[in-house]
Amino acid sequence: MENNVLIEVRALSKSFGELEVLKSVSVDIRKGEKVVIVGASGSGKSTLLRCLNCLEDPTGGEIIFENENLADPKVNINIHRQKMGMVFQQFNLFNNKNVLENIMLAPVTIRLKRLRTEKRRALFKKGDKPTETKEQILAEEREKAMKLLARIGLEDKAEVYPSTLSGGQKQRIAIVRALAMNPKVMLFDEPTSALDPEMVGEVLDLMKQLANEGMTMVIVTHEMGFAREVADRVLFMDGGVIAEQGTPAEVFGAPKSERLKAFLAKVL
Amino acid sequence: MYLEGLGNTLLIALIAAAIGIFIGVTMAMINYINKKTGKLKPAAAVCRFYITLVRGTPVVLQLMILYFVVFAFWDNGIMIGAITFGLNSGAYVAEIARSGFESVDDGQMEAGRSLGLSTWQTMRSIIIPQAVRNCLPPLFNEFIMLVKETAIVGYVGIYDLGKIPGLIQSRTFDYLFPLLIAAALYLVVVMALTRILHMIERNLAKSDRNRGGVRNGK
Ligand SMILES: Nc1ncnc2c1ncn2[C@@H]1O[C@H](COP(=O)(O)OP(=O)(O)OP(=O)(O)O)[C@@H](O)[C@H]1O
Ligand SMILES: [Mg+2]
Repeated sequence: MENNVLIEVRALSKSFGELEVLKSVSVDIRKGEKVVIVGASGSGKSTLLRCLNCLEDPTGGEIIFENENLADPKVNINIHRQKMGMVFQQFNLFNNKNVLENIMLAPVTIRLKRLRTEKRRALFKKGDKPTETKEQILAEEREKAMKLLARIGLEDKAEVYPSTLSGGQKQRIAIVRALAMNPKVMLFDEPTSALDPEMVGEVLDLMKQLANEGMTMVIVTHEMGFAREVADRVLFMDGGVIAEQGTPAEVFGAPKSERLKAFLAKVL
Repeated sequence: MYLEGLGNTLLIALIAAAIGIFIGVTMAMINYINKKTGKLKPAAAVCRFYITLVRGTPVVLQLMILYFVVFAFWDNGIMIGAITFGLNSGAYVAEIARSGFESVDDGQMEAGRSLGLSTWQTMRSIIIPQAVRNCLPPLFNEFIMLVKETAIVGYVGIYDLGKIPGLIQSRTFDYLFPLLIAAALYLVVVMALTRILHMIERNLAKSDRNRGGVRNGK
């Protein structure tokens, strides 16, 4: 496999019952690349994104990530999802957890589980005694979470519950919650579409920072200005296929297909 | 004698509630996971059958079947009563809990899974706490119902509060007074429990309003 390809999508298809939403889509996502997906409502953008981490089970094709085919039901998808952060339109912060707990929950749960497994193995002499303790894990993750909060200037919200936050704050916390897993790629599904206009900027700024740091990003968005600025490549989806793709200059400046021209005329 | 009856009534109701919540929440969970992942189909079908069966037959019959047939060898009437009502209330709790699970936003499970947590890890930390919280008032209401309904264990000879009047009356031939006392005792207990229910409701509403200051659990 080519060494700089992070996710390789091969002939991916997805149907909901009779409805064929993705029709044999193939695309490579390279390390550090910023791919923006645009297209009309219902063209299959979210479905493609959600198939990448198998939140939707593909009905056909392959998704190769770290030499494993995620579409294979035998693969332990949880391990791979830990390396693929996802940000949702509706934020989806955990309502019963405060901000700090939201960020810490997944890394702590997963590390403590690993710790228990290691302890059990050590007990049966199948492995070495774990070097870290539960307290260390909690302290480390708390420190990491606080650093992430400091990064977005929300340390003072650590103990607060999501329902008291603004949309922009929620989405920025959702982004750093995903970052707490140290993902190799971040998937964004219309991260600013549910926000009041005055809060769109703060979320896009954080995403730009991530982009500048070299994070691999796949972003479904209607923010064409952002796409122009950040994208290495723009995919135009239409009727379940990638109808056209290229640099922002190519896709926005010199659209070839009639469908893309019509789409751009509507959104620009 | 009334106090012993009252004690038995509450004991039966408490044990039954524990069994009922365990069964009900488990069944609702199986149903929820089945709906979300398509796994556990046979288990979900068994749960549906159980709920239909239990809700479709009178609890008096269930009690008699368990007391005289299933546990015929066992003479611990209180435990049999508690088990019967536990099994019975499990079917009702399952319905309450089902709506509790359904009221949890789908995005919560997706967020957990997208972070690499397993279905069960997400259920445990995120879905179950929210589902239980959402249906605490109806669950507590079910407990109040249990306290009253368990009066029928008298049919199989257990001395709970509802049975005591008959007992006294057989000795004193006074009908009205013992019944009135028993009724008054039930009323006091149920009113006290209803007060607690209202307190729970108020607290939930309050913590919804200022989640900023209140921490719930860990
Ligand atoms: N869970 C589902 N069950 C059935 N049909 C679905 C499901 N999810 C999506 N669809 C259908 O698949 C098609 C593509 O949906 P998708 O969400 O991928 O579109 P989209 O490009 O993201 O659109 P939008 O811009 O509105 O978000 C739509 O027709 C939608 O109704
Ligand atoms: Mg979408």
